[in-house]
Amino acid sequence: MGLRAYVVRRVLQLIVTFWAFFTLLFVLFRMMPGDPTSMFIMDGMTPEQREQRIAELGLDQPLYVQYVEYLQQLLTGDFGQSFIYNDPVIDIITVRFMNTIVLMGTALVIAYVIGIAFGALMGWWRDSRFERGGIIVTLMARSSPEFWVGIVLLSVFVFWLGWFPSSGMRTTGGELGGGFVARYGSLDFLHHLFLPALTGAIVYLATPTLLMRSTMLDVLNADFIEIKKAEGLPERTVLYKHAARNSILPIVTVAAIATGAAMGGSVVIETVFNWPGMGREMVSAVNQNDYPLAMAAFFLMGSVVIIMNFVADLLYVYLDPRVEYE
Amino acid sequence: MEMPEDSTTRRTVLKGAGMAGVTGLTASLAGCTGGENGTDVDGADELADEVPEIHLVAPTAGANPFRNELASAIEENWEEIGFEVNLENLQFNAHVDTVVVEQDYDASLLGWGGTPERIDPHTFIYDMHHSDNTQQGGRNTPGWEHDEYDELAELQVTQPDREERQQTVYDAQEIIAENQPRTYIANEGGYHPYASARVENVDPTLGEGLNSFWNMISATPIDDDDTVRFGYPSEIISLNPMQDLATPDRQFVRLIYDQLFRIGRDGIPEPWLVTGEPEIEDGGMTYTVELRDDLTFHDGEDLTVDDVEFTYELYADSPTYGGLVEVIDEVDTAGNEITFHLEEEFAPFTANVLGQVYIFPEHVWGDVEPEELTDFEDENWTGSGPFQFRDWERQAELQLEAFDDHFETPNADQFIRIPGEDTSQLVNDLEAGQIDMVGAVPQPTAVDRARDDDDLDLAEFNAVGYAMIEYNTRREPFDDVAVRRALSYGVPKEEYVEFIRDGMGTVTHTTISEHNEFWHNPDVEEFTEDLDAAREELADAGYGWDDDNRLHYGAE
Repeated sequence: MGLRAYVVRRVLQLIVTFWAFFTLLFVLFRMMPGDPTSMFIMDGMTPEQREQRIAELGLDQPLYVQYVEYLQQLLTGDFGQSFIYNDPVIDIITVRFMNTIVLMGTALVIAYVIGIAFGALMGWWRDSRFERGGIIVTLMARSSPEFWVGIVLLSVFVFWLGWFPSSGMRTTGGELGGGFVARYGSLDFLHHLFLPALTGAIVYLATPTLLMRSTMLDVLNADFIEIKKAEGLPERTVLYKHAARNSILPIVTVAAIATGAAMGGSVVIETVFNWPGMGREMVSAVNQNDYPLAMAAFFLMGSVVIIMNFVADLLYVYLDPRVEYE
Repeated sequence: MEMPEDSTTRRTVLKGAGMAGVTGLTASLAGCTGGENGTDVDGADELADEVPEIHLVAPTAGANPFRNELASAIEENWEEIGFEVNLENLQFNAHVDTVVVEQDYDASLLGWGGTPERIDPHTFIYDMHHSDNTQQGGRNTPGWEHDEYDELAELQVTQPDREERQQTVYDAQEIIAENQPRTYIANEGGYHPYASARVENVDPTLGEGLNSFWNMISATPIDDDDTVRFGYPSEIISLNPMQDLATPDRQFVRLIYDQLFRIGRDGIPEPWLVTGEPEIEDGGMTYTVELRDDLTFHDGEDLTVDDVEFTYELYADSPTYGGLVEVIDEVDTAGNEITFHLEEEFAPFTANVLGQVYIFPEHVWGDVEPEELTDFEDENWTGSGPFQFRDWERQAELQLEAFDDHFETPNADQFIRIPGEDTSQLVNDLEAGQIDMVGAVPQPTAVDRARDDDDLDLAEFNAVGYAMIEYNTRREPFDDVAVRRALSYGVPKEEYVEFIRDGMGTVTHTTISEHNEFWHNPDVEEFTEDLDAAREELADAGYGWDDDNRLHYGAE
């Protein structure tokens, strides 16, 4: 099978995956007990008000009607109105999604840059004290739950040293809104970003480090490294130019998949640091039975995972010609 | 997250503590320490079928850790009495849906909030207990029907004389206590933490603590900082007063929009946009008030009687809040006077209508169609309240600033609301100096931390609402008053307040909180934990126990 046929088939699979994912989401949310009016009932919503609201939201329609309508809506790129906020879902979600991407993107970049370098050195200095210590540190980071890392960083850097703010994305009381640069470019923002991003970085550090180390070990045993050494090249050149570069291939695909997973993993970090991101919005939307908002949030996060897997597959084919299309 | 094992352990420890120290509790625990059947009470000799299993719905530990723990204690006691209990823990929305809407439950442990508009007894007496309100989603969730009671609940509406109405409300509470359609457990007052090093003049009030309107206009920043930063564990939904609003939304909407009357610190409606008490004529059928002449909206336009008349028409047309003003037949204006002609007598009119309807600027809302009211976005949320809207980014912060032309200018120039992830995260922020107040009750450990911190303090408040068990009286055996009374004897109210809530709140036996002094009847029948009394109730009503201590109907 040629590359083109392979890509076409993967795209078709992608479409089926999306449809199944969407349908599953729809069914799951409608099976959940409660409805968007539940949270108002104890605050005084009368039975008449409730019925009227349910009808307004179209929730009195048969399920298949709601399903078809929602599917049509989604195909035109419309996520609909939030049941609770009465605002278009897309307006609510865009800002939140950007906040999450900036946070998790930073965490992942730090994790992969440090992880790759660290892993390469661990492989290079095999059996040294550096390697043994490194493995212990990496495994500790890997087995620490996100919320715990977050709380430890909070107690050290906020409550003990007082260097960083405990939560939020910026100092309260300033100008709101503004463009991308105004939001994410300020020192105040970076100050708030530091701890949550560090938490993410610590948690995601282990995978690239350990993977890099083990691929390095394979590559270092290969004949061509011996030849390069025999050529009299400096050690650093052999390490960076030949050993590390050839070890990086598996990392690329893992990174793509990790990006997807990180979007879901951010819920915990956002909770600990009160980061106004997608994860928190998702949790509150589910708790409030705000179906359109919750579905759009899950849909976006799930889409990142699906698409990143797809990208990883394609990258693999592109980067390593030995991979078979099947 | 549920931790049944943990809570059982904790309860055992608590009981130990109770045995050791607290006399009130030692007596009440006697039932648990008896012999095989735990008691000398003998029931019917001839037994019929087993009394059906009780499906008890209670919150998850995440939804409400205190009540979650209480539910396990209740389950244990009820089983001791001889019932079979199936305890189901649900998240809040699912709980409300199952119990209040679907009414698919036997017993349910839930709270009923005590907002200021519920200090007038109407909600607790009429809405929650009159047989007109037993439909799905209605306030009378137990489906309790009692003719004599209904008459009293209707009578109090027609009594503008406070003393007369008080007597009716007293009588009504006695009938409720005898019949126990619910077990009234505790008014869940508590502490709201704040930074005493950064704000002064906090003013926690009945039922609301630091969430009270009076606190928000009274709180004063110390030093040259002019801002008060207020943390609450959830985001508000909307500032549109015409949307379906939850309590946290109303607490901010009412800063921006004014009412003719405000519920005062003591729960009694006070003249706000008007010059004095309403003149009540025609045997309670007309109410006349005079508007102040110094009122403006945030955009500088005058607030006049025309805006008030417009507002009441707007409410009448509103699909969401039409019900609030349906008792009004007609509104007249003359000069600065406004007269409300009612369809029928309605004693809580001042508190529940004049005190709840927000006055809208006609020049902003004049052209909005009734069906568009809930979706209407006034970008500046122009009202006439002591604070005006500045900016809002959801999940981040809502910024308000003082409206200097108001007759009650607030003490803080800026008021910022910060939605937190949960209460413990907000207490962190408070300790880190990022916020100044928290409008929620933290866990006992966090309360202790706030108490020990020199920069922080605790604002104590009492509650009007309560935690309760509701019995589905539409079903057997809860249609039998003896069963409900017996189950009420199985609820450890004192243990709940003293140990589970670490002393926060007060035990209650009636639907009107003791802190709502004028309407509270202190002499109703009381049900404190007493498993022997529970068995006696059941034995007297003809029930009996088999050898496994399982409760049966009597054969006769």
